[in-house]
Amino acid sequence: MTDKSLPSWWTLDNAAKIFPSTASSHDSKVFRFACELQEPVDPALLQTALDRTIERFPIYRCVMKRGWFWYYLEDSALPARVRPEELPPCYPLYPAARRGLLFRVLYYRRRISLEVHHSLTDGAGALNFLCSLVYEYLLLRWPDRFPEPHPDLPYDASQFQRQADSFQKYYEKPPRRALSRSPAAYQLRGERLPKNRLTILEGRIPLDSLLACARARGATLTELMAAVLLRAIHSGMRVRDRKRPVVITIPVNLRNYFPSESARNFFATINVGYDFSRGEDSLEAVLAQVRRGFQENLTEERMRAQMNSLCALEHSIPLRLVPLPVKDVVLRAANWLAARSVTASFSNVGRVSMPGEMGALIRRFSVFTSAGMLQACACSFGGEYVVSFASPFRSLEVERVFFRELAGMGLEIVLTTNLAPEKEEE
Amino acid sequence: MLRCEKCGVSLSGSMDRCPLCQGPLTGRPEENVYPVLPGEERPRRLLARLAALLTVAVLAVCTAVNYCFPAGGWWVLFVAGGLASAWLVIGVALWKRRSPMKAIVWLLALVLALVLAWDWRTGFRGWSVNFVIPCFIPCMQLAVVITARALRLRPADYLLYLSICVTAGFLPLIPLLCGTLWMAYPSVVCAGLSVLALAALLLFRWRALKGELIRRSHL
Repeated sequence: MTDKSLPSWWTLDNAAKIFPSTASSHDSKVFRFACELQEPVDPALLQTALDRTIERFPIYRCVMKRGWFWYYLEDSALPARVRPEELPPCYPLYPAARRGLLFRVLYYRRRISLEVHHSLTDGAGALNFLCSLVYEYLLLRWPDRFPEPHPDLPYDASQFQRQADSFQKYYEKPPRRALSRSPAAYQLRGERLPKNRLTILEGRIPLDSLLACARARGATLTELMAAVLLRAIHSGMRVRDRKRPVVITIPVNLRNYFPSESARNFFATINVGYDFSRGEDSLEAVLAQVRRGFQENLTEERMRAQMNSLCALEHSIPLRLVPLPVKDVVLRAANWLAARSVTASFSNVGRVSMPGEMGALIRRFSVFTSAGMLQACACSFGGEYVVSFASPFRSLEVERVFFRELAGMGLEIVLTTNLAPEKEEE
Repeated sequence: MLRCEKCGVSLSGSMDRCPLCQGPLTGRPEENVYPVLPGEERPRRLLARLAALLTVAVLAVCTAVNYCFPAGGWWVLFVAGGLASAWLVIGVALWKRRSPMKAIVWLLALVLALVLAWDWRTGFRGWSVNFVIPCFIPCMQLAVVITARALRLRPADYLLYLSICVTAGFLPLIPLLCGTLWMAYPSVVCAGLSVLALAALLLFRWRALKGELIRRSHL
């Protein structure tokens, strides 16, 4: 907007409303998408690429503000600068020492990382931003290889479509329903890392052999991963905890169910659990249960019902009139209650695609998110599937069992981690 | 590339041991995948803790002295009240240090309350309502304007706080109109300045202020 005294502003979308209230130094609600190139990143070119990209995503130029009833996003004049990676992964963006943009672009050796506060957008939205950024960067870096006309970026949407709040678009008032309370799930224990720290453990697996592994068991990749993760968590459980179910929450991209090109949040979650006290703990049994869970939950009606019941809370007049400081407390309590029914989280972002000729200049994409609990995220690019664990715990026992089980299936796994060598740890 | 035979996985990057089983590795390390960060963040509240210790020490000494020489009454209560007021003011200023505008509004409210409380506890001779409050409010109004200028804030970032401070300028009218004041000039001047400021605000900045009010109060 040209008139500086009247900045543009946006209300938070339905899913985003909980994030500013619940973000803390133990769970910053920041997630990271990273793209590793074939050669070291040139910061100056990256800055130019960022300047061009942000033109197309104006909502990324906003800051978070507190209203009397809700947080909101307001256009700001703050410059977006690329920076070398010097902070721990997923370091808080809001609340922060000083008001800033809700994302940061970092570079380290060959890697470009985009860290975003979840109230701005979800994984699918952030991935579009990163792909656009990498696209612009590669155009600048290799002007000879990509002469005009430039290859098409797969993501094609108007500014209006990008800024749209798709929750509002698809909301219809649901019939009154009693809130069903899920049973308390098993919670991982153990010494936690100091605040603002996360252990990242990333496993790269050849996509074709992993797909073959999943198909041999009649499952999809996400189902297989969820089952292996459930079993890995079970292996570390104390006997007296085993009466509690192990539950994994899985975010679902609603764009696959309701047409939307929004660059903001548009997701729901499903929970998949397994009660090891009732069933056998073989992979086949767990996988069968996970598959059933997916089939029951991943229907358009279920997604619509979940979306509507969440949006209904936001549309209830008495709730809207509650002042923000009270909402903060209530939302924190609600978040805590919801976290009790979940053990860990697994999020599959799916295939990342770049215009064909650009793929050769990119090694891989990866994704992980800040974690109050154990969080696994996965994406695939080219012939590689990358699953990244972000954990607030010192111990990597779940990850160890998880990757050993996959290695036991004959998969060639390459791990990498941000854990510093032992001497740095002490 | 490194390899852990026990886990059956390869490892990219440089590390001494397998992150999964802490076992030995074979192969050659590569360059770091993640930057090595300095150690854990140190808590930065050392100064605050020292100040708290000093406060406790002063209170303890004063209480002991006052107990041994009770001739002048319980003057230690004034010491305690003074220290508490100082902690409150500094605490609020530090708590809101990220947004100076909010800090000013909070300090305005806090100082008004403290001044009233001190006047009331010391016999209510009226120095607060007659002098201090009507002089303090215009100072804070000026502080908003100067800070906004100095930080080059956009109207959206300070108008709301300015209007709160301007509205507060009408508070001295309450005791004035009730006829409880024995010195009317400061309150009259304060209210007069506030009328002027409010008129200027509404005449020149109404559009921006309205926008800010709509944003802040959206349901």
